Amino acid sequence: MENKKTKFFDRMKSNEYYIKWLKNPFTYVTAAVLLSLFQIVTLAVSKNPWGVSGAFAVWGAWIFEAVGGSVDKWYYFASPGAQATLNGGLLNHPDSWRNFGIIAGALAATLLASGFKLKKIKSFKQVAAAVIGGLMMGYGARLAFGCNIGALYGGIASLSLSGWVFAVGMFLGAIVGSKLLVKFFM
Amino acid sequence: MKEVMLDCYGEACPIPLVKAQNSIKELEVGDMLIVQIDHSCAMKNVPEWARKEGYNVEVEEVDDGEWEVIIEKTK
Repeated sequence: MENKKTKFFDRMKSNEYYIKWLKNPFTYVTAAVLLSLFQIVTLAVSKNPWGVSGAFAVWGAWIFEAVGGSVDKWYYFASPGAQATLNGGLLNHPDSWRNFGIIAGALAATLLASGFKLKKIKSFKQVAAAVIGGLMMGYGARLAFGCNIGALYGGIASLSLSGWVFAVGMFLGAIVGSKLLVKFFM
Repeated sequence: MKEVMLDCYGEACPIPLVKAQNSIKELEVGDMLIVQIDHSCAMKNVPEWARKEGYNVEVEEVDDGEWEVIIEKTK
């Protein structure tokens, strides 16, 4: 029985459909088409364009409320819509579930391609860059009312000028970011 | 002809690519550069760059989530 099992996975490793669909990464074009299709589904089903980082602010508010805080007076959460989202809870928050789906899907994809690996942290610099960069991106995304998905992708897809403005800002930021990266990590 | 190992384990994109570009400059024609990576997008952009440069490239999966990109500096 044991022997048969090993043979099955050995056979699968060289199966052309396994290699094509699960092992090798999709091309950028395939991925772009799939993303476009699924963001249309998202818009149709949830009545909101695709967003990722907006959910983080909601999670933060829930955690803050769980430890006894209140965000009702905060400008960002003061609108009736934001209040309804906060009161609706996790089960009624599509953005949260989509984000969980992204994490679960990424894990599944890397496991199916047997590419999963816990990576070592090489230096304190990596930790510092991740924490500082993460805070800046999160803060910036809330100030801009969206990240590269909600503000850029969703903005441009809904023919909004703000998406293009975001694109220019992000491009300039990426130039600065790459210079910093080469300076501190090379 | 020598072989140079470039340890990029634990480095995220695009650091492996920039490191590979820098270290291949130090090599003579005919030398081999072996870039060790564990970031799957480097598995795409490192070979892509090397092939565009006209080098011989081979990607070997050495373990789960670990690859060696073997680049021969042909010119």
